[in-house]
Amino acid sequence: MSNPLIHIEHIARTYEMGGETVHALRDVSLDIFPNEYVALMGPSGSGKSTLMNILGCLDTPSSGVYTFKGLDVNEMTDDDLAEIRNKEIGFVFQTFNLLPRATALKNIELPLIYSGISSEDRKERAIKALEDVGLGDRMLHRPNELSGGQRQRVAVARALVTKPSIILADEPTGNLDTKTGIEIMKLFQELWSKGNTVILVTHEEDIARHARRIIRIRDGKVESDTINPNPVTSFEIP
Amino acid sequence: MIRISEIQESFRIAFEGLQANKLRSFLTTLGVVIGITFVILMGWFLNGLDAALESTVNLLGTDVMYIDKWSWSGGQNWRKTMQRKNITYQQAMEFCNSVKTAEVSLPEAHKWGTTVKERDRTITGISVIGVPYSYSQLPAGTILYGRFFSQFEDEYSTNVTVLGYGVAKALFPEGDAIGRTIKIGGRTFEIIGVIIKRGTMMMDFVDNQVIIPISTFFGVYGMTGRSISIAVKAGSAEKLDEARAEATGLMRSIRNVPPGQEEDFSINETQTFKEQVETLRLATWGIGIGLTLLSFIVGIIGIMNIMFVSVTERTKEIGIRKSLGAKSSSILTQFLVESASLCLVGALIAFTFCSVVIAIAVRLVPEADFLTPYVPPQLILIAAIVSIIVGILAGIVPAIRASALDPVEALRYES
Repeated sequence: MSNPLIHIEHIARTYEMGGETVHALRDVSLDIFPNEYVALMGPSGSGKSTLMNILGCLDTPSSGVYTFKGLDVNEMTDDDLAEIRNKEIGFVFQTFNLLPRATALKNIELPLIYSGISSEDRKERAIKALEDVGLGDRMLHRPNELSGGQRQRVAVARALVTKPSIILADEPTGNLDTKTGIEIMKLFQELWSKGNTVILVTHEEDIARHARRIIRIRDGKVESDTINPNPVTSFEIP
Repeated sequence: MIRISEIQESFRIAFEGLQANKLRSFLTTLGVVIGITFVILMGWFLNGLDAALESTVNLLGTDVMYIDKWSWSGGQNWRKTMQRKNITYQQAMEFCNSVKTAEVSLPEAHKWGTTVKERDRTITGISVIGVPYSYSQLPAGTILYGRFFSQFEDEYSTNVTVLGYGVAKALFPEGDAIGRTIKIGGRTFEIIGVIIKRGTMMMDFVDNQVIIPISTFFGVYGMTGRSISIAVKAGSAEKLDEARAEATGLMRSIRNVPPGQEEDFSINETQTFKEQVETLRLATWGIGIGLTLLSFIVGIIGIMNIMFVSVTERTKEIGIRKSLGAKSSSILTQFLVESASLCLVGALIAFTFCSVVIAIAVRLVPEADFLTPYVPPQLILIAAIVSIIVGILAGIVPAIRASALDPVEALRYES
């Protein structure tokens, strides 16, 4: 097996809140390899969001080891972390997190702006990414002119446009109806089958069942880490 | 390292923000508009003042001084000056015949506040100046058209006159003064020439004069009871010191001033005008700088306030940008560009406003012809730079706060 993309060892994350120490993550160790399709599951308050923030380099662990592609994340400066987020990680959020005043195309160009890509290149790559998610005809629409499913597709296109090592999706179907949710899950399935690494954070069993590996988090610890024997592969719309 | 693409993005965001909040942006920038307006108007006025001073000084001649009973700058003990004896024509002539360092020196007799008549028209407040023919060698005697009177006309007390620009313009707006006659002191004079325009702003009385031969002058107004001025042209500004030293010594000996005693005459130079204008300049600066600072302080507070609001409103956006790879420096730049743009727009409004005000002011007040009818270009540059500095000062604290936001917290923020 190849080297892990993500290697975390005994990480913990504590917060100070009103003079009390909150243990969001107690002792988590795991490896994620290229082209895995992983679901991080857990009820709210389990620490799965904290774990996702750490995996996405938005946050750093209080203790423990985190290496990303062999690099020690704990040693990195804020600017290094920003660079990792920019080049290696594609975020997809529950609430889409698109900039309301920018067009679909501009939203997708955003990460490329922060990696210093020239404007012609940016546009070309953003158009390509938008076409890949089937929204080639919605380039100049603003988010409020798009449906929820279309917005999430734009968000996925934005996550993909930098060709990241990992796609990190946080409850990507949480704000969508069942039908559009299934469409988005189908999109993730496609991305995975094309060789992308996908990490899905969710509390819904139905969604987690699409992944090939399910990691359950409870009380800041890994409760179970299993291969999903029967992943959902059909995307019939009920 | 901040990338060009990020700076472009910052300008795009700033422009978008301005468009989205037009009224708010305008109100916010009002303090800066007022501040920049002061800067421009003050600069414009001082600019005009300097130009006017320079032209006045040049026309009087930088190498010319006037020996007088009175001091132009005032400031001395009034009663003491009153007690000074008049400079007589004999003393003046003795001086002119003995002085060695001067290129030209000549006596001038003045009659202030007289009236001149041209047929049935009368103008008042005119000075009559009696000078010898050599007056034409002074900058003040430069002819616009016609000619100056000759040595012959001077010596034979002819009734000829050369008009100051103001008088010629008032009586003969068509420019057909030559050969016409006017009445000065009840006598008829033939006009033979007109002097160039010399005065600007408060100095325009120098154009309201008529010049006649000094011998004629004494014939009309008499020789006694008046103090004669002596005009001394040194030849160059460098020779002025030497000429002043000689003139002082010579005049002391002519007027029998004992050694150690204060002079009973004044030596006036164009420098005196500079001092007077300097006072006006300082007053303008003082008032202008005070008002400008005040409005900039108000402006900075207003913009800082709105930038804090903007940072709070866009906490989520900052979180999104950070999650997509924006560094703290990118966010800092974004907000600095935004507040600087806001101020630059303020400067633009102020500039437009000032252009209109200046155009109207120059049209309404003809005496203000020493001022340019437009905003001097260097002031536009200064105003732009000042507004950007103000913008950065106002934006720095909110921008630092924005850039220091924790991405996780910022993403969680719901407005």
